[in-house]
Parts: sequence; C-alpha cells; structure tokens
Amino acid sequence: MDAAPVIDLPRPAPMSSPVEGGGAGGAKGRPDERALVIAAQRGNSDSFAALVRVHERRAYAVCRAIVVTHEDAEDAVQEGFLHAFKALDRFLPDQPFGAWLYRIMANASLDLVRRRKVRDADELPETLAMPFRDPGESDELRRRLTESLTKLTDRQRSVIVLHDVEGFTHGEIGGMLGIPEGTARSDLHHARAALRKMLKDVRSDL
Amino acid sequence: MSDIELHSNEDDRIVHGLRALYAAPAGDGYWNELEARIMARVADVELEWWSELDRWVRPAMAAAAVLILAAGVAMFRAHEVESEIAADNMLSSPTVPVATAVRPALQDDRDAVLRFLFGHK
Repeated sequence: MDAAPVIDLPRPAPMSSPVEGGGAGGAKGRPDERALVIAAQRGNSDSFAALVRVHERRAYAVCRAIVVTHEDAEDAVQEGFLHAFKALDRFLPDQPFGAWLYRIMANASLDLVRRRKVRDADELPETLAMPFRDPGESDELRRRLTESLTKLTDRQRSVIVLHDVEGFTHGEIGGMLGIPEGTARSDLHHARAALRKMLKDVRSDL
Repeated sequence: MSDIELHSNEDDRIVHGLRALYAAPAGDGYWNELEARIMARVADVELEWWSELDRWVRPAMAAAAVLILAAGVAMFRAHEVESEIAADNMLSSPTVPVATAVRPALQDDRDAVLRFLFGHK
C-alpha cells in the first residue's frame, strides 16, 4: 500500500464508540448505532458503511497493535469488517457493537499473524521504521525501540501497544486477545520491563 | 513495579516513541479510501451470495415444477378414485326389502273389528 503512515500521535480513547448507547439521533447528530446495526442486519449496506466509517480508525489501531506491518493491519481491517458483515445476523443489537467488532478485528489479526509467522524478521524494521517526523525525538530511540519490539513476544507487543498507545484497559485487551485480564496485566508489566532494560542506555542519552 | 514508576519521564518517552511508530495514517482521504475498499469487498460478498442463489434457482424451479405436477396428478387420481367409489356404491347397493310391518296388536284389533262387522251381517 502506498499510503505511508504519517505521524499523528493518537490520544488514548475509550473503547466504546461515541455513538454507542446514544439515543435516537445520537450526540452530535450522529445516527444511533443500534439503529445502524439493525438496519445493516436487514441488508442496508449504507448503514454498514456508516458503521465502517465510525469504527475503521479504532479497528485499524487494534489490528496494527497485533500485526507486524501497516499493510497487514490494512488487510486485517478489511478481513475483520468482512467477517463482521457475514456474522452480523448473529450479533445482538443490545450488546456494545464496538467491543464485538474489535474482538473480530483482533481475531482477524491473530489469524494473519499465524499465517505469516514465517515472514522474515528483516521486514519488520522496514515497516516500523516509518519516517520519524517529530524533531524532538531521537532517531536512535526509534531505531532501538523498533529493534526491541521485535524481541518481545507477539502478545507482549500487542498488549503494550493496545494499552499504552491505544488506551485500552486490561479487561478490554483480555477480551480482544482471548486471555484473562490478569495475563494482559502481566504481559504489560513484562513488556515494559523488557523495553526499559533494552533501551536503558539509549534513554540515558536523551 | 508500580504504575507511578511506569509513568516516569523516561517511560513517557518510550510511550511517545511507541505512539510515533504505531501512528495511524492521517488525513480523511486515506480513511475514505479504506472505507471504499472495505465496502467493495462487502459488495463482492453480497454478489457471491446472489450468484450462489442464482446457481440454485434453475434446479430449484425445475424441482418445484416437478413437485407441483406430481401433486396435481396425485390430486386428480385421488378425486377420480373417490368418484369411482361413489358411483360403485350407488349402483351396487343391495335392495333393501320394504316390509310393511304392522304391529301385531293393531293386526289383532283389525281382525276383531272385521270379525265383528262380518259376524253381524
């Protein structure tokens, strides 16, 4: 994919979509998500497109935290939405759509990771080494961070990104990755400790 | 390790670095395009369903026609058999002997009346 990700520091946001639980018309004039889901379940593709529009950024963030590359994240997002579309009739509209969707995204991403497990590790720095455009940051930190991330387990990397970058709670991460909340907490602790250790000398230079 | 330690300045720098590495593409154009690609794939799935349905329509129609024909023949045959049975019943019903039965008591009374009348002639 040509679209090179540009630095756009995302702010951690709650897992639930702003439209979730909204009444008719939603807060800011957005259509009620439940109504969109029901309409999509009845075959209205415009409603499904509206759901895609609302959730695609967050869905991408979930996938990006789990897969290795931006391109894989795009693939996983598309696969995830496709799975969601096919499984939509089994979704109960009274449940939070976001949580259900992000679990599907996480599963699609984990499937992709499993399929591409044999991918050469050399490709990782290529993708993670995106233009680091914040002049206040160190290229050395970026390079070492990229390298250090490859030494974490897949799950540790996913957990630390989902938590520290995307702002998901331990419980939400556990739900998405199919692990207990305590395991997510423990993975986060170990991931942070490992990164600290690996980046100790770099950080002291900054 | 406590959360207070985790949010030291040094950890914040790591988190900042992570956010930079995992930054989502900026700009609505990218997201609009992604949405379009997703919806194109969804449309393909819908099309697959219709194609699959279309593939089954012809045999299903033929099967339905055969069933309707078979049901029609069966109904016709059943009606025909019923009519035959009804006609047979009418023609072959045994003649019931019509007995003019007279109650014995009445018979005796009549005889007595007749005897009385003829006896007095």
